[in-house]
Amino acid sequence: MFDIDLGESGEIVCKGRLDAAQCEKAQAFMDNVAGPNTLDFAQLEYISSAGLGVLLKTQKRLAESGAGLKIININNHIKDVFRYSGFNAIFDIEA
Amino acid sequence: MHKEFARSYDSLREIFDFIEAFLESRGVAESPRYPVHFALEELFTNMVKYNPGNTNDILVDVDVDDKNITVTMTDYDVDAFDITEERKVDTESSLQDRPVGGLGLHLIRHMVDTLDYHYVDRQSRIIFTKGTG
Repeated sequence: MFDIDLGESGEIVCKGRLDAAQCEKAQAFMDNVAGPNTLDFAQLEYISSAGLGVLLKTQKRLAESGAGLKIININNHIKDVFRYSGFNAIFDIEA
Repeated sequence: MHKEFARSYDSLREIFDFIEAFLESRGVAESPRYPVHFALEELFTNMVKYNPGNTNDILVDVDVDDKNITVTMTDYDVDAFDITEERKVDTESSLQDRPVGGLGLHLIRHMVDTLDYHYVDRQSRIIFTKGTG
């Protein structure tokens, strides 16, 4: 299961597993994000390359207006995926 | 243990449940499970994406011994596509220049220990292993 919604402080909270079957749901939500925002991955267990695509598309769109995504509470497995992808250089990641 | 899965992204949850139940039953630690799930998803979704007209199910076989988890995926009646061939992947350019997609096989190579491809009689067979430790 995957869920994405706004948290109490306006951050974007991702929960569960962001696999290829869940990307449409994630992209639909992220397409409505405007301006800088924080993604809280504390409850995100898993992401695949399809999920990375959702994040990259959103980051590119936000960058056009000088904004971007900050990612917090990322688990070690997902941190490895970001590192192998070179995404740690294009996202603001806070452990 | 093996099982056939319908050629659809909707099969992913069933695949994850299948592999997780097997690894759990064999007492495999948590750390190798993520890479196994990841490789399975990337390889399965590639099979779905690049052969959309094919109606054959995809066979997934998994085994565990003292040292390794071994997963074999068989795709029937397909053209050859050697996933072990090196392909250029961009992980360094700026955000604006970074292409979306194309990272799956690159990431698998980082996450599993061995990755092999065999093609015989229009059957693609991919075998990957990941250490249990």
